[in-house]
This record gives sequence, structure tokens and C-alpha cells, in this order.
Amino acid sequence: MTDLPQSPSLPVPQSDSSEPLRVQLGPLSLKNPIVTASGTFGYGLEFTDFVDLSRLGALCTKGLSLHPHAGNAPPRICETPAGMLNAIGLQNVGVEVFLREKLPRLKELNATVIANVWGDTEEDFVAVVGALEEADGLAALELNISCPNVEKGGMLFGNSPQATASLVSRVRKATRRPLVVKLSPNAPDLVQSARAARDSGADVLSLVNTFVGMAIDPETARPRLSFGTGGLSGPAIRPLAVRMVFEVARALPGVPLMGIGGISELSDVLEFLAAGATAVQVGTANFKEPGVSGRLVEELTAYCRERSVPVASLVGRAHGRGVPLPQAGGRG
Amino acid sequence: MRSDHRAPLVRRRIFSPLLFSVTFHCPELARSIAPGQFVMLDLPGRIRPYLRRAYSVADADPGRGEVELLVRAIGPGTAALGELPIGSETRLLGPLGNRFSLEALAAGDRVAVVAGGIGAAPFPLLFKALERAGIAADFYLGARNAADLALAARFEGIVPGKTVLATEDGSLGERGFITDVFSRAASGAGYARLYACGPMPMFVALARAASSLALSSEFSTEAAMGCGFGVCLGCVIPAVEKPFIVSCTEGPILQPEKIAWEKL
Repeated sequence: MTDLPQSPSLPVPQSDSSEPLRVQLGPLSLKNPIVTASGTFGYGLEFTDFVDLSRLGALCTKGLSLHPHAGNAPPRICETPAGMLNAIGLQNVGVEVFLREKLPRLKELNATVIANVWGDTEEDFVAVVGALEEADGLAALELNISCPNVEKGGMLFGNSPQATASLVSRVRKATRRPLVVKLSPNAPDLVQSARAARDSGADVLSLVNTFVGMAIDPETARPRLSFGTGGLSGPAIRPLAVRMVFEVARALPGVPLMGIGGISELSDVLEFLAAGATAVQVGTANFKEPGVSGRLVEELTAYCRERSVPVASLVGRAHGRGVPLPQAGGRG
Repeated sequence: MRSDHRAPLVRRRIFSPLLFSVTFHCPELARSIAPGQFVMLDLPGRIRPYLRRAYSVADADPGRGEVELLVRAIGPGTAALGELPIGSETRLLGPLGNRFSLEALAAGDRVAVVAGGIGAAPFPLLFKALERAGIAADFYLGARNAADLALAARFEGIVPGKTVLATEDGSLGERGFITDVFSRAASGAGYARLYACGPMPMFVALARAASSLALSSEFSTEAAMGCGFGVCLGCVIPAVEKPFIVSCTEGPILQPEKIAWEKL
């Protein structure tokens, strides 16, 4: 085990005792740190039987493109140990239908909405962002520069710091909204990519997207997914994702992070917060337990209340000297 | 409304080493489920399988508050279901998907129901609905061999018409594919509709037969599902009028003319 460098100065928690769950990610203020991850929560409306959307910190939409996109041929998913591979290929209704049919309804439901956007080219990204710029009811944008399941665009922007910098600075000029950049764990050097995104104008970094993986049918010797490879998600990736959040938090102190990777229990949320994430995104668990995001909001609320601590004080604890938290029932 | 129901296992009935039925206490679902709909079953606490699995609901008894699933043990999830102690709590997410339609049928009509192996799963509930509507139904059940045809026992006395069995090896019933047996019987039988569920080659053959007979058809399709409620988009089926049908929300009951069979 290598020695850890001295603990960096992490974002100073801004807490208000009347809202102990509220978190501040740069210009983006969320009522709590539980966010649902793009691609696992549809457009939010699919979940209204299971979750009160207004209770979530935010929801990230399915990745939106300028035009509707059909996605990849099936088979698109397969289960793997403690997780799954997917190669959906960014099937989505397109930004126009989203604005006309989905966003007004989300606004009625008082959902905090982060629009996840993607494109094949920088121009495509700028066009989608432009189409969303005047829309009412969007809290932030999340740039998907990390989808492993499309031929063009996607992960290619995330795998080179130069491409990341070029894209993020162009999008930065096209929007006044809080800008989240979703990073790829497949990048050769994640910290370099994170730094490139931050230096080019990202307000928040979300990490990580799925890991490129593959499953082969031993009988036919053919890949189980028609795309060949797919993105690995679920509890299987959690230790990898926690390590990456920890490393980026250490290298770029002060940059607000949303941690993503196999989160399905309160202890997973606390683990990512300790690693340096100010908020978390719940992904694949939404498929297995559609009410999981609402449950985590309630469990985190109870956790903070029982210990009389604001959630912001839980952020980055793994980087410090591990000050013990007050126990449940204590007055802190 | 769709809900994630707690559902304790109350009964298991064994038909063969691989084929069995499981009955759960789940009153809300027993009242609300319609023929052809499915549930996503979770065995809590298990990491393998991680995701839920989709099961057609075979039967429901609103009086006793019970729903029944027919299962073929093919992997870790179905094997676990075969060993789950009575009383164990599971979760059933549902009702999900669309339903078999009785639209444009009238009392006195006769329909055909064709199933391959475990494809028989959704039909007990459909037979009840047909019988209530005064519609007769002939049941064509096929499998590779007699052992795989063990589910026939579940259908004794509930088919509002005749039952025709076939095995590929001739060990029980007629010898050959059930699709051929059906096709020979169907011309001149005056069926008003075909309902079917089974493996893909069976669907392909039946789609051809239904088309040549100009027979209105509804297939209960199967695709690997990650969520069951239209979010993961893993279960798409190539379609004719658009690129894909999302099987879990637009199906699983689909009319064969809407499916792009050549792309499967």
C-alpha cells in the first residue's frame, strides 16, 4: 500500500441546519444528494408508481440527442456476476419530444431535472444544448462523453483529455446552466480527463459511467451482445468506482463530484460520500428495485437526523484523519 | 397500479424434475392481473441472479389471494425458485405489460391456443377468461419429448375445447412439431383467433401459418428484460413500422405482423 499524500482541502460544507440534507455542487444546489443516473431512470415518468420524484435530489434523463435515436440491435443486455452488461446504444426520443412531452410533466411533479445530452460531434452537442437552453424546468445539463456503446462520439470524447477539453469548452460557451460532465472509467488517465473537463468549464464531474466489458456464450463462442462489447454496471463495479472518485477528489480538491457505481444501499451512499463525492447517482439498482432512490433518501435522512449531522459533513471523510461520527442518538 | 408486492411462497407443485409451479400469496396482484401480463420476480438477498426475472402469470385466484407461475428450471434463478422454502418472502413487481385481447370475439366463437414447452405458462388464466366469455378453445401443446410435456397435467379439465399433444420424438401424443399439427388441423377448423407462446422457431412457423390462413393472432413474446417497465430498453424486438418494439411495455403480447421476423 502506497502512502497517501496529505489530505487535500475538500469543499467546505455549506450546511443549513434547517435543511441538513441539502448539498451544494458549485452553482447546483440539490435538496439532497440522491440522484438517479442517466439511462437507468428513463425520463423519470416511468417511475411515478414507485417514487415521489419531488423527493429526489435530482433525476438525470436518458441521454438526449438532437434527433430521435433507435439504438442497437438486440440482444442489448446480459446479466453478469453482481451486475450486467448493456449496449443499448443511446436509444432516446430526441430533444424535441423531450421538451414537448416529458419536461412539462416533470415540472408539474416538482422534479429536479438534469438533462443528460450526447452527440456524434461537437456540433451535435452544441445543438442539443442550444435546444434546451431556454427550456423551463431544467436544473443542469450533464454531458455524456463516456458512452461505450456507440460507434461515433460517446466515449471518444471522454477518452482523450484534448477531446474532452475541446468539447467542454465549446459547450460551456453555449450554456449558462450548471454543467456536469460524466466521465468515462475507460479513459487512460481519469484524473487527466477530470482536470481537462474542470479547466474547460465543467462545474461538476460525475463518475463513473460503465466499464467496457464483454461476455461470450461458451456454446456458440459468440458475444452475448449484438454490439460485441457492452458497459458493465451494478455492484460488481463499486470498488473500482469508489477508488476513482477517491483519486479524483484527492487530485482535484474543491471540484464537486457525483459518485456513481453499483449503489443500492445506504452504506454504499456513505462510502461514496466518504471518498469525496458530494452527491451520488443510483443506476442499475433502479431496474432491480424501482423504489430504491426514494428509499435511500429516507434512509439517509434518518441517518443524518439520528446523528444530528448535516450530510455535507460526511463528504470526503476518507481523506482526512477519519474523525468518528457521532453515534445515533448522540447530540454531536 | 403497478407496485412492488411482498409475496410469500405458499405452494409448489412438481410436474417433472425440471417443470414446476409456484404459488404466492399476493392478494392485490391476484385481483389486478389480466391474462398475458407478467411480473418481475426478485428473490431478496441474492446477488445471483442480480436482476429480476420476468414470469408470465399462469393463474390467479382472487378469492384466496394467490397467483401462480409456471417455471422451467434453466438457470440459477429458476433453480433457486425450485428450492425456495415454503413461506419465504419474494417480491413480485406487477402487473406489467399488455394483455391478451378478446376483442372482436363473441360467445360461440372458437379459438386456437398453441404452446411450445414452458410457453404454456400464460394460458390457464386465458382459458378462464375465454370460458367466461363463452368462447371455445382448442389447446395444442408440443414439446421435444414426453418429459418436457409434463405441464399437460396442469391443463387437465381447464381447456374449454379439445387438447392436442405432440412430441418431436413421438414419445407422447402425435409425432412431430406442434406447429405442423396445428397447421393441418387449422384449415377448415374456423378458428377466430390464434394465441401462441413458445420458442422463436415456433413463432416463425406460426406467423407463416397464421398469415396463410389470414388468422388474427396474438403471440406472447419473450425477450431478456432488465427492468420490465420500459426503462432499460434491453428487451426490444425488431419491428415493421418502426425500428423496435419495447417488449415489456408495448408487449409482451404482439401481433406477428408487427414483428420484423427477418431481423431476428
